[in-house]
Amino acid sequence: MTTEPVGLSVNLPSQRVMQARVGDADIAVWRGVSGKLSAWLNRCPHRGMRLSHGFVRGESLACLYHGWHYGSDGVCNYIPAHPDLEPPGTIQTTVFSIIDQDGVLWVSVDGAAGGQDLPGDSKPVRSITFSCSAKAAKDALIGSSVADGSGGELSIHDIAEGSNRLEFKSANGLNSVVVLLQQPSDQSMIAHILAAGDWSVDGMIGISRWSETVRRQAERTKNVPNSDCQDEL
Amino acid sequence: MLGLERAKDDWYPVAIAGSMGECESHTTRLLGFEITLHGGKNGAISVNFGETDLAVQVKFDHVWTTFCDNPRPLFDIPEGDEPGRVRVPCGVVRVKCSPLRAVENFLDIAHFPFVHTDILGAEPHTEVAPYDVKIDESKNEVIATKVKFFQPQAAKSAGDGIVTDYVYRVAAPMVSILYKTCPPKPEAQDVITLFVQPLDEETCDVWPWMALYDYENSMADMISFQQMIFVQDRSILENQIPRKLPLDPRMEIPTRADMTSIAYRRWLKRSGALYGALTEAV
Repeated sequence: MTTEPVGLSVNLPSQRVMQARVGDADIAVWRGVSGKLSAWLNRCPHRGMRLSHGFVRGESLACLYHGWHYGSDGVCNYIPAHPDLEPPGTIQTTVFSIIDQDGVLWVSVDGAAGGQDLPGDSKPVRSITFSCSAKAAKDALIGSSVADGSGGELSIHDIAEGSNRLEFKSANGLNSVVVLLQQPSDQSMIAHILAAGDWSVDGMIGISRWSETVRRQAERTKNVPNSDCQDEL
Repeated sequence: MLGLERAKDDWYPVAIAGSMGECESHTTRLLGFEITLHGGKNGAISVNFGETDLAVQVKFDHVWTTFCDNPRPLFDIPEGDEPGRVRVPCGVVRVKCSPLRAVENFLDIAHFPFVHTDILGAEPHTEVAPYDVKIDESKNEVIATKVKFFQPQAAKSAGDGIVTDYVYRVAAPMVSILYKTCPPKPEAQDVITLFVQPLDEETCDVWPWMALYDYENSMADMISFQQMIFVQDRSILENQIPRKLPLDPRMEIPTRADMTSIAYRRWLKRSGALYGALTEAV
């Protein structure tokens, strides 16, 4: 398992928690008041509650169920049912490696996370979830060109075999759109989209609309019955 | 399957008594098997499993059934029959979790300030004082006594915050009964129960039932109070991993406040009541 993109940094402000999936691992990603990032197995060691439903207090994440607090090292530091007790250091979450690189959050469940390089002036556009297979999502993205909302179009530029990164470029090569793909399950795909170059607000909105159009196409493909199966329907 | 044969020896709630019209029928599931309920004359309800008529009895305003010809007897709640109580079947809530997780949550008080905020608990009143837990060997039940907790609004009938006294009984693997301070009648205790219908090991229908001293509130208000509480619990129950209840102590770390839960898990294990349980660490 390599490092996976799980979201855009801008969508996880301080004191917020989100759920992510890397391979089979259900993960809670959160930021403390200071902005410090953590990524943990999404399970409170006490009663198995998903920590992504929890709340941030200072530099700790508290489980929603019983309010057990865990510091950014993953070690339990407060049990509200026993306010005077110092929790044993053995109560701790499973901690994964996470980095914020060029505005993208990258998580690895085995070893240190290492992000991909992006064009230096990349700006986050949005993350969007496709409810269809990874192949259907990828085919729809590759088969499209990005209408930038200002009359221009960006076409697919770089698709490395098996890569979960797509790059679209304008004809003059100055503007580009990078799509980082994350596959949380067999039947969903998340596209994290960034734009590099000179973009107006309308241009950014155009990229967002384009992603919604492609999603509709990809999800429609999924719902067309396979003609080989018609006889059995 | 582990625990299925033992689970078949118990009674389970499948409907509110009198809730079906004559000739009405519908199917539901019990322990993974499809069963059919039929409405008869005078509100009677019968239950079929395939060609077989299952035994049926009405108790605590619910219809109970079992797959067994010689089932363990249904427990009793003597206080429930006391004159003057309002008996309130609260309807049914479907929950995607093990029936045992639903019961265990019902036995837990430490979650009140976080899950039922400003109703059954509130920060900073989070401390759980020591209480007593034992197995009543004569009845084969788990009993927790001297449980106390500060509650902002302990019941629909409560005004200001009070320290509420609780007693908990686990009368069967999928039945929990609590007795708690009755705000308008301090010498008595309200009875609130959780009757659980196991649809399968990871899905259940929960039928809460209450026997209260409350002459102020309408039936609808009492039911909606209880449903609000239980729906808050459901948001927890459907997010616990794994969905089955782990019995291996290495899987989930308890603390003193969890003595009832610890006793419940041990009692399930020693009773072989393993339907809905996970016996090995994963």
